[in-house]
Amino acid sequence: MSDEIIQIETPFQFNEENKQVFEELIGRYPVKEAAMLPTLHLAQRQEGYITPAVMRYVAELLEVTVMKVKDVVTFYPMFFEEPVGEYVIRICQTLPCALRDCKVVLEHLKAKLGTDVASETNLAKGTTDDGKFTLMKVECLASCDVAPVIMVNDDLYKNLTPEKVDEILAKLAS
Amino acid sequence: MVQEKRILYEHLDVPNINTFDVYRQHEGYTRFEKAIAEYQPDDITKMVMDSGLKGRGGAGFSTGLKWSFVPKDIEPRYLCCNADESEPGTFSNRYVLEKNPHLLIEGILICCYAMGIETTYVYIRGEFTLGKKMLDAALKEVYEQGYLGENVHGTGLNINIYTHPGAGAYICGEETGLIESLEGKRGQPRNKPPFPAVEGVFMKPTVVQNVETLCNLPFIVGNGVEWYTQMGPTYGDGRFDPPKPDPNTGTKLYCISGDVNEPGVYELELGLTCTELIEVAGGLRGEEVKAVIPGGSSAPILTHYELDTRLDFTSLTLAKSMLGSGGIIVMNETRNIVDCLLNIMKFYAHESCGQCTPCRWGTPWVRDIVQRIADGEGRQTTITRPKFGVTESGRWGDTGETEEIYEDLDLLESVANNIANVDTMTWNTICVFGIAVSWPAVSYMRKFRPEFEATIRENKLVTLPVAEATVPPEENYAYQQRFIPKEFSELQETTED
Amino acid sequence: MAFIKLNDLEIEVEDGTNIVEAAKQHGIEVPHYCYHPGLSRPANCRMCLIETYAPPPGAPPGTPAVPLRQLATGCTTSVRSAPPERKLDEKYDAIVQTDSPRVIKAREDILEFLLVHHPLDCPVCDQAGECDLQDFSYRHGHDKSRYIEVKNVPPKKDLGPDVLLYSTRCIVCTRCIRFCDEVSGSGELGLINRGSHDEIDIPRSHEGTPIQLLDNKLAGNVVDICPVGALISKDFLFKSRPWFMEKANSICSGCSVGCNVTVEYKTDGLYRIKPRFHGDINQHWMCDDGRLGYHYVNSDDRLQLPLKKIDGEQTTTQWSDALTLITEKLSEVEADDIVVIGSAQGTNEDNYVLQQFAHDVLKTTQLGLFGQQPGEEHKFPQFTIEADKNPNTAGARSILGSANGNVVLEGDTLWEKVAGAKVVYLVSGVPDRALEDAEREALEKVEFLIVQDVLPSAVTELADVVLPGTTFAEKDGTFTNSTGWVQRIRKAIDPPGEAQVDWEITQQLAKQLDGEIDYHFAGEIANAIAENVEGYGDATHQNIGDAGIKLA
Repeated sequence: MSDEIIQIETPFQFNEENKQVFEELIGRYPVKEAAMLPTLHLAQRQEGYITPAVMRYVAELLEVTVMKVKDVVTFYPMFFEEPVGEYVIRICQTLPCALRDCKVVLEHLKAKLGTDVASETNLAKGTTDDGKFTLMKVECLASCDVAPVIMVNDDLYKNLTPEKVDEILAKLAS
Repeated sequence: MVQEKRILYEHLDVPNINTFDVYRQHEGYTRFEKAIAEYQPDDITKMVMDSGLKGRGGAGFSTGLKWSFVPKDIEPRYLCCNADESEPGTFSNRYVLEKNPHLLIEGILICCYAMGIETTYVYIRGEFTLGKKMLDAALKEVYEQGYLGENVHGTGLNINIYTHPGAGAYICGEETGLIESLEGKRGQPRNKPPFPAVEGVFMKPTVVQNVETLCNLPFIVGNGVEWYTQMGPTYGDGRFDPPKPDPNTGTKLYCISGDVNEPGVYELELGLTCTELIEVAGGLRGEEVKAVIPGGSSAPILTHYELDTRLDFTSLTLAKSMLGSGGIIVMNETRNIVDCLLNIMKFYAHESCGQCTPCRWGTPWVRDIVQRIADGEGRQTTITRPKFGVTESGRWGDTGETEEIYEDLDLLESVANNIANVDTMTWNTICVFGIAVSWPAVSYMRKFRPEFEATIRENKLVTLPVAEATVPPEENYAYQQRFIPKEFSELQETTED
Repeated sequence: MAFIKLNDLEIEVEDGTNIVEAAKQHGIEVPHYCYHPGLSRPANCRMCLIETYAPPPGAPPGTPAVPLRQLATGCTTSVRSAPPERKLDEKYDAIVQTDSPRVIKAREDILEFLLVHHPLDCPVCDQAGECDLQDFSYRHGHDKSRYIEVKNVPPKKDLGPDVLLYSTRCIVCTRCIRFCDEVSGSGELGLINRGSHDEIDIPRSHEGTPIQLLDNKLAGNVVDICPVGALISKDFLFKSRPWFMEKANSICSGCSVGCNVTVEYKTDGLYRIKPRFHGDINQHWMCDDGRLGYHYVNSDDRLQLPLKKIDGEQTTTQWSDALTLITEKLSEVEADDIVVIGSAQGTNEDNYVLQQFAHDVLKTTQLGLFGQQPGEEHKFPQFTIEADKNPNTAGARSILGSANGNVVLEGDTLWEKVAGAKVVYLVSGVPDRALEDAEREALEKVEFLIVQDVLPSAVTELADVVLPGTTFAEKDGTFTNSTGWVQRIRKAIDPPGEAQVDWEITQQLAKQLDGEIDYHFAGEIANAIAENVEGYGDATHQNIGDAGIKLA
């Protein structure tokens, strides 16, 4: 068998600030494993995506097996296992947005960025060549009253039209 | 026109209501103070029970009843606030979190006091970064003000509230999925029983409540049960003789989206009709209502024949649909129901947690069938049966009776019903996600069958005019027998006669 | 005890029994995949749906029970004796239907779902013939599938040294994951992705390089518990169809735990070893050392004829020649110069006859005990592999020392004694036994060394005469494990060449020396042991039976 086990050359660890955040986090739960999601969010914010080194580090911190971490990482679409662009553009495709022409916005974004839409197992497909943007679909962002919407990193952009998308992209690119 | 009745949302747009000081100026935390000063914990449980408050998250289960199941002799007990608002068409919790987080905190405090709970986790969906930020900031203030932490205001109560981010899984809105996710695992719902009230997070008794439900508590405590029960209709539950009251009290944050002129959240007394709600939301965008989804995407669809259905828990259940999370999606005459169903089925196929067999493999199957129909590849056969009769030439002979068979529609209905049977309301799955899949699939197909048939026949998406696309309610098994619930008071009068 | 009505049967079962087990006890099959009696119960396959009864809500007492609206999973429905006021139909603790039309339809539906992505590659699947998916589809499924969409084709994966995963066949019952979490405690397995893309996997980087392998010592059990052909043992892959193999119930000879096993074999040798349930010893499990440790039995190097040393070279010879050579040598020396060494790998019967031979015929009380060198102990949450790598140390020790005045020497004292002896009769049967320097030196000093063994080894090399003995798979007998369970091993295959059962060899030697040892089958010796060895009074051939017997 290809019994090559991955050698983690550069171990990951939290920076000082995140270490403190983690210490505070872990105190909230009677079971360490419960801090899984916030810890992974924290790690992803620091590292950009969840590498094997991150998984191993988180597993050690929470006293679970690496598989438990991998299990969770692959279940939740908000965790990335591949590098993503500086700006992650999440476009809602669910019914209320679809009724407000999100397809037009999506097509416009695709044309403008010159990339396809990322799939959960292939984020590279939706990432621009310059590594600036990653375009992905998400399910309902709970902003159906201001549809269609996109979320760029942590910010929500509402009532989109192709023109508004142009403005947003121009602002982000600068 | 029905007027908005803003209670939960009353101060939503007050500038800086998200800060402790401004919230305090608007009766902030006085209800909690009243609760601990004037009532014993059990009194509050009783008030909640008497108020008829039903859970606003989707199932519409009586909150007071849920609390009564929690064993009081097992420590610690937990409260999980469900802020994993992911049901398509629902967005009321987001505004509470982003604009008025103190209201939620006050609601949580009252619940904690009533149930003797020391630790609360607010499970916020991962995409609500702003909401989480605002709530965290509000919590920091409240800790500083001494309403949280050890020995709250010298009352001896210890209450902690923590926020916990989700990471993009719809199923974590299911209460046991939420609990699993909170424990740091995949959000796969648990088998019930045991229910969370007995064995929930960390295997301890747990109350799981939606944001909106908790936000109702300050007003029930502050203004009293009588004030609260005057809002909304109380029906007579016809299953009992004499009828028992079936309350639909309070207001509901109706989220209306889709083809209306002013989509948004409208806080209204429970019990108004679809037509009235569309009117409140600035009227229809378009000529004609084709369909209305009354309670988030998992609720069975209502046709234009059913627009007089009242949007409350009881009436919608009787109309074989549900109020769910109160996410109302309106579709006008230009919409293609096959396309809408495809969109919804893509959502469910993506969000199935994959734990149990029927849902894991049934949901994508349903999606694939709908996709095939929408792509113009739906299967249809015309069978000709021999029939003895007068032929065109005027002689006795075989007149050849033909029948159109739409295999894929039958298959769609059968597969969906095998995940969860919408007629008997039974599901073979672990959680109710199964019924959330088959409900839309079967109801769209049955109620808008002509549109599905036309799409298959013509091998492309065909949008029929509303009247043609909809199956009329008469003699059709797609609809519940039209049964409008009667007000409890009316029933009482008739029985007294 | 709970009194339940199961279909038309009125049965009594232990409190806390679930419906799958209760039905099984009465010969009724409730098909299931995710449920395994040794693991937790997630009820995720939904295959064991049953109909349960309760009185209608709010009905007055005495109202007959009616079927509940929802079907329940049999695996999570446990029955318990209820107080009189809560009895159903005034006498039952539970009423359950496993064959109502609703249940039958639900099973068909679930099976249809289970098969939508299944490749139906039974003709090339190792599991065919012992596959729950095949069996239940045959007995409870539809005759055709209505699925015409594209099937998921997840990749085949290498999980560890002995385990392959054919993901396409997987029905995601998660038995393997729960095994690694609960029994071995090593947690290497988990799910990746979500929904219909769920796959079992070990942790890997995004590119697919493993971070950890499924290489714990209990890993092979996941293959056994896999209800379909998804998890496959590389050792057994494409070796045989299960229906072509014969089976013999036996005991693992890998260590002193004494796991109950089933030896599966054909005329040309052993094909695999699988664990067999024993509630007090190994539950449902066994370790990979035992599971894969059978290969020496099939070895081409097995001793098939006696060997004798002529001018320092071992050459094959006839049995009669070898036996004569030995008896001549034995009659030349004094009893005190003879050491007879039994084996912790041998059965109680082998050792008993050997002991009788030494005590009654050779009149020596100097006996030794030989065996595999101790290895590592491995402890898991629900399983232990012992450091003593012999199956019968306890049995051999007490049986060799059972006769009056017998001394059983072990370790250094044994080797000191051996170094001073003229003739040593060493029954080994230990595969792959390395010799330490002291041991080698002692054996080299022996004037005439008789070794009875199964494979050429460091020990046989030194021997003047080598007698070909048999392994656990080629003889009947009993082993006594470390906790005092006497359990039976059974002959599966014939010994290679002219190799003979160890006690029979000893008995022939005794006969040549006019000893009165005359047994015909192992059970006879077991009865003799029961009669003569202290503590073995109850362990008669009859009493040991299939389940074994625990010594007092």
